[in-house]
Order: sequence, then structure tokens, then C-alpha cells
Amino acid sequence: MSFKRDVPTSTMSGFALSAVLVLTFLNILLQNIPSKINTAGDALLQLNASQGVANAVTTVVVYFRGFDTLGEIAVLFIAALGIGLMLSKNKHCDIKAESNFMLQTASRLLFPIIMLFGIYVMVYGHLSPGGGFQGGVIVASAVLLLLISHKDFEVPHSVIVMLETFAGVSYVLIGLIGLLVLDKFLGNFLPNDISNMGLLMSGGIIPIIYIIVGIKVGSEMSIIVQNLLKRSENV
Amino acid sequence: MIGFIILVTFIGIITIAFASIIQTKLSDAIILFMGVGLGTVVLFFIFKAPDVALTEAVIGAGISSLIFLMALKHLGEKA
Repeated sequence: MSFKRDVPTSTMSGFALSAVLVLTFLNILLQNIPSKINTAGDALLQLNASQGVANAVTTVVVYFRGFDTLGEIAVLFIAALGIGLMLSKNKHCDIKAESNFMLQTASRLLFPIIMLFGIYVMVYGHLSPGGGFQGGVIVASAVLLLLISHKDFEVPHSVIVMLETFAGVSYVLIGLIGLLVLDKFLGNFLPNDISNMGLLMSGGIIPIIYIIVGIKVGSEMSIIVQNLLKRSENV
Repeated sequence: MIGFIILVTFIGIITIAFASIIQTKLSDAIILFMGVGLGTVVLFFIFKAPDVALTEAVIGAGISSLIFLMALKHLGEKA
């Protein structure tokens, strides 16, 4: 080895890998200056029109790859379960210090606005950018604001369990109804006429499934944040 | 013009990321990491992926940095 002793080979290979990644990204950047990008995805947009949903990304995430989305929210559930199990042996312990007066007043003003924005992103996921994952995390960040500003606030555990169970069960149930009606898991059995594209009531089951994903992600992220904030005082 | 903005953002991201890994105070490193996330949001938005930009803004720059800060607070003097 010609390298000095105190630089391990893993660090050197890490630098080499970073250099390769940077060069690849620069290459992609220089070849795709946005005047060429406008034509990307025309075939996808043609295919997207069959479901009557204005946002093509939502069609891909919820309809063409709906089974993968079911797997993703299962992964998030396992992460929440692992954090809950890992921190459950620590004594439950509230934050001792009272938070700042400014933070308390501002959180009362900001909480409804952030919550409303999260629900908007969730419900309009099939019309505008956004959707269940993003909206759920925005709702969880509103809960986080309340958690750090009010020291005796806590999300009730029974409500979280009820919401998450409802969301998970209804996702699978909608998929099974699609299997019964159209011989296809997560088949779009509600009316999804293309003439309604762009309206709130369009796209059949796709907005319903995205709202369900939003409820599940929001409750899981809220419980993860609450466990991390309130249960690990005395590690 | 838009290529210039892309180039400036890209160089900025690399600079902030390098400044983040050579910090000795961990809290400063986390704040700079949030800056990397924000630069990536601009790049995603210019490349016409608003969905990914929204996800990156909420998860990459928001929740994950806050979870890092919480972990840092609980580690305390050990870090």
C-alpha cells in the first residue's frame, strides 16, 4: 500500500465513489439543459389520461405502482414499531423546561395554518403537486410544533391506533374490492371518466387512496416524533 | 440564463456540503445539511419535478434535520 497508514482504504474508496457520482451528475446536467427536457414523458402522459387524473406522478404512484405504495407504508409502519419498541423501556418523562412565551403564542397562530396546508396537499394530490406522503409529513410537523411548544400536550394514543388501523385496513379492502370487480388488485372500480379531469371528484379510487396514505403517514410520523421527543430523556 | 442558475446552485450545494462535513460543532453541521436540502429543492424545481421538490423540502430539509437535532440534544456531552 502506498497510502499513509492513517488514511484507511475505506475513506479513499469513499472519496473515489463521491468523485464518480459528482462526474456522473455533472454529465447529466450538461447534457440536459432544460430546453431538451420539455419532451420527456410524453408517452407517460398519454398513458396517464386513461385514468382521468391531472397529475401524472399521482397516477404512477397510486395506480400503476399501487402495490409498491402499500409496501412503502408497511415499511414506515415497521419503522414506527421499531422506534416504539426500542424506546419503550425508557421511563416516560415530560420536557422539564417551560418553552418560550413567543413560541407558545406563535404556535397557536401557526398550528391551524400548517394543519390546513397539510390537509390541502393531501386532498388535492391528484390535481396539483403533492399527495399523501408529503401532506402526512406536513401534518406531523404541525404536531411537532405543538409538542415542543406545550410541554404537557400529547397525542392521544387511542386516536393514533384507531386512525392507523382504519387507514391500513381500508387500503387493503379497496384493493380487494378492485380484485373482485375488475380481476385486478387495486383496480379502479369507481367512475373515472376523462371528461371530469381537473375536478375535485375525478379519478375514481386514486384520490381516496392518497387520502388514506396521508392519514397513515401522518399518524405514524406523529407517533415517531412524539416517542423521540418524550421518551428518551434518560438513556 | 437558467443554465447559469443551475450551475450556481450546483456549486453552492457542493460548497455547503463540504462546509458541513468539515465542521467540528455538530449543530452547525446539521444546519448546513438543511442548506444542502434547500439547494436540492431549487434544482428539483428547475428540472420540472415539483412533487419531488415538495417531498425533499418537507422530509429532507424539515423532519430529518429536526430528528438529527433531537438526537443531538439527547446525546448531550457524549457527542
